Amino acid sequence: MEYFLEQLVNGVIFGGVYALIALGYTLIYGVLQFLNLAHGEVYMMGAFFGFFTMTALGGPSMSILPVPLMILLMFVVAMGGSALLGIGIERFAYRPLRRSSRLAPLISALGVSLFLQSAALLLFSSKVRLYDSNLFLNMQSGISFFGVMIDIAEIMVVVGAIGLMVVLWFLVNRTNLGRAMRAVAVDQDAAVMNGIDVDRTVVWTFGIASALAGAAGVMSGLLLYPVDQYIGVFAGLKGFTAAVLGGIGSIPGAMLGGFLLGITEAMVTAYLNPTYSDFLAFFILVIVLLVRPRGLLGRPALVKV
Amino acid sequence: MKKHVALGVSGLAALALLATGCAGSSTSSESSTAAASESAAASTEASGGAAPECSGTIAVMAPLTGGAASIGQEQLNFAKLAVDDFNTANGSMYKVFESDTQLDAGQASTQSTAIASDTAIIGVVGPAGSQEVSAVGPTFKDAGIGYVSASATNPDLTNGSNPGFFRVVPTDAVQGPTDADYIATTLGAKNVVVIEEKTDYGKGIASSVSEALTAAGVNVTSIPVAESKKSYDDIIAKVADDTDVVFVTFQVAAKSQQVAQSLVKAGKKAVVFGSDGSFSADFKTPGAYVSAFAPDINGIPAAAAVAEAFTAKYGKFGTFGPPTYVAAQTILQAAQRACTTSGASADRAGVLAELPNTNIAGSILGGDIKFDAKGDVDGAKFYIFKIDEAGTAVTVQ
Repeated sequence: MEYFLEQLVNGVIFGGVYALIALGYTLIYGVLQFLNLAHGEVYMMGAFFGFFTMTALGGPSMSILPVPLMILLMFVVAMGGSALLGIGIERFAYRPLRRSSRLAPLISALGVSLFLQSAALLLFSSKVRLYDSNLFLNMQSGISFFGVMIDIAEIMVVVGAIGLMVVLWFLVNRTNLGRAMRAVAVDQDAAVMNGIDVDRTVVWTFGIASALAGAAGVMSGLLLYPVDQYIGVFAGLKGFTAAVLGGIGSIPGAMLGGFLLGITEAMVTAYLNPTYSDFLAFFILVIVLLVRPRGLLGRPALVKV
Repeated sequence: MKKHVALGVSGLAALALLATGCAGSSTSSESSTAAASESAAASTEASGGAAPECSGTIAVMAPLTGGAASIGQEQLNFAKLAVDDFNTANGSMYKVFESDTQLDAGQASTQSTAIASDTAIIGVVGPAGSQEVSAVGPTFKDAGIGYVSASATNPDLTNGSNPGFFRVVPTDAVQGPTDADYIATTLGAKNVVVIEEKTDYGKGIASSVSEALTAAGVNVTSIPVAESKKSYDDIIAKVADDTDVVFVTFQVAAKSQQVAQSLVKAGKKAVVFGSDGSFSADFKTPGAYVSAFAPDINGIPAAAAVAEAFTAKYGKFGTFGPPTYVAAQTILQAAQRACTTSGASADRAGVLAELPNTNIAGSILGGDIKFDAKGDVDGAKFYIFKIDEAGTAVTVQ
């Protein structure tokens, strides 16, 4: 039973990272009906921003600031940097193609994805980075969940992911910006006629989605995942799978999809063959697309006739 | 305006494609080292005398980017140094062609096609990984190219399926028993978990070490993992508390470090023992062990000049570079012998014909380099290192 719970906790933690990436996908898709295939690379850049903030502050074992402040700054810089990156990508790679065919921005997104990988290689070199968070976080302290120890980094990931989802849900459903986002999602022309600045709304959407990806990057680093220029490829695919599984466009759906995907992977590792975990994630994607294309919590699409 | 922005986007995408696509590039060897090493002098003797007109291009297939880039860059730089030293000692004009395989079989296969179509390339140093050797084998066989790896250790590679393939390092058939003996006898382990990464390399070394451990009476549990796996907490949860050693078979040392950190985090006492793929500064958990197919050449008198020249030019190095220096020497000597015999610069056939006659006396690896009939190096052995409190690998066997 303890083994099952241990793997369940592992699954929830993997899922927290997937969920944050999925939230970004779902937010952008929800507003623009556009798959930002470069979202995984924004996550990768966020992980690098967090890493270099940490090293600028003295590194994992010699921080010049108190550890909580250092971690806070890592998140602030990673989320801010990723938000600016996302806004830049939208401005130069997607906005000019907004009125073109659906395929054009998709191809542009693929180009941006490759561009960011190459830029990371040129800027940061090909060296694999590790946050070495065990040097500044006491990994053997935390809370006990039915005998399973959950360390500080893991608590931060789960609480952070759920907290950011709640903030995002509140922002989309209870603020003027959120109303503008929903209006743009329904009909951009009608939104303009009602005085909504579509460009500004889209900029905010990309900024928020990219900031979430940046937060996910730092969280994965704190969980001791290695950081290199290719980590965004699989993370992006997993985040996309989670978003589709939960119902792309749905904020609670993205969270649910992320956690379900993470738990599935952990259980496959625990009770089947660990080499099947990635295969199963994408198999689930195919099954969901075939059986329930709108995902678990997605709404049926309304088509004007 | 819109047109300009659209053009900009197209340019952005094109740049990205160019940046990722231009993996191979030809460079002349950089300036010769100030003093050609003793090793280069030995090369001159073995090659049968100077032949100033001898020239040719040697491809170096290594992971120049990606997770194993620190290894690949070290290999490339040692190959460049070997060419520089050889040219200085022999008055020859050999050049290096850089071929980035990213330690990926698909990428290696693509690069092998480019190399095969470039007739200026007379021999290949590499590829680095066993799975890459399997991938390039058919292309190089058809092209009649001789290739010498400095780090591919899967025993099956020299079973006759890859004609033209040679290596200057021992195989996993040597590594497995060496590591297993150390784990069972010196460390006294009773329970060992083998984390087997599902690559040609991982499967080969996992099988070899598991067999030897089982034969030594050690209880072995195997856990297979995919190469794409990013977190190992769920794998570590499968490691029983009474496990003494976790043997890892990764080709990216950061993954071994991740496993070691996850074990500490989970409060498990097992020590991590990495195969040669983990030998890098990225694997730095104190108390962990790692094996290597080459010694620390800093303690070998015959390697002193090469070690000094490399450090002055490129900085610190590990155990992946020196065998690459030797691999490059084997190609260079073969080319030089063929050139001297025929009176003209060697072609692929000439190099391939001369490779089995390799004889480097007193190599920088501390012994003579000769190939057996299969293409494996005679008498090579593995070395074991322990990581100290400063994160440095120190030779223990």
